[in-house]
Amino acid sequence: MAVKKLWRCNVCNDIHYGIKGPEVCPTCGAKNAFMLIDYPEAKKVIIDRGDRLDQVDQLLEVWERFAEGKPFRLNPDAEFVKTLARGELENQRNHGLKYCPCRITTGNLEEDLDLICPCNFFIQPVYRETGECWCGLFVGRK
Amino acid sequence: MSEQGGRLIFFWGRECPHCAKLHPVVDEVSEELVKAGGQGITQLEVWHSDENAKLMRSYGDVLKRACGGSLGVPSLYNERTKKALCGMRTTKQQILDLAKE
Repeated sequence: MAVKKLWRCNVCNDIHYGIKGPEVCPTCGAKNAFMLIDYPEAKKVIIDRGDRLDQVDQLLEVWERFAEGKPFRLNPDAEFVKTLARGELENQRNHGLKYCPCRITTGNLEEDLDLICPCNFFIQPVYRETGECWCGLFVGRK
Repeated sequence: MSEQGGRLIFFWGRECPHCAKLHPVVDEVSEELVKAGGQGITQLEVWHSDENAKLMRSYGDVLKRACGGSLGVPSLYNERTKKALCGMRTTKQQILDLAKE
């Protein structure tokens, strides 16, 4: 698999992590403006303004937005969803990333990146069979 | 107390809702196994114990297959037969079969 690299828009400093930079900058609309940069530059360009997604309500909002217009929706069981949100925040505090509480990390970061929620659940056998993602956070619209 | 190497283990996560739902079923099967003179089910939480997570990873090949690709909870592993069950749809009968095989 091709290795992802870092790219910066020379017009607005939008940062992209991927095999190649976007032809049109999604932030400012400039064309063919992305050039290859390195990790230290990217880290400096992204200014930490202190924004964090570390509250249950914030996660619920992000998940709702993610499910908009999709063939799945957020599980209507509010308590179920909040338990998952609390678990992800615990995992972020203890293990560094919002890993799915119904998975477990392998210790290999590249492999574990697949366990960050929302994961790519469309490829999971359980999603094909039941219309739900592994942990049940997202369920099919009926 | 079950001996390491011959246990039936229930791996679960504290914030995993499916694990919470399966817990009473596992308790019930465990009690039945003990009443029948056998070993109960060893319950190990994996997100808040590095030791338990490490043990689960050591059975990773079998568990990943049972979970459909990646390690997941709730899951059960029989150390004697090296067979596993994984996921929210695990039934009481499946757990009994896994224990008795």
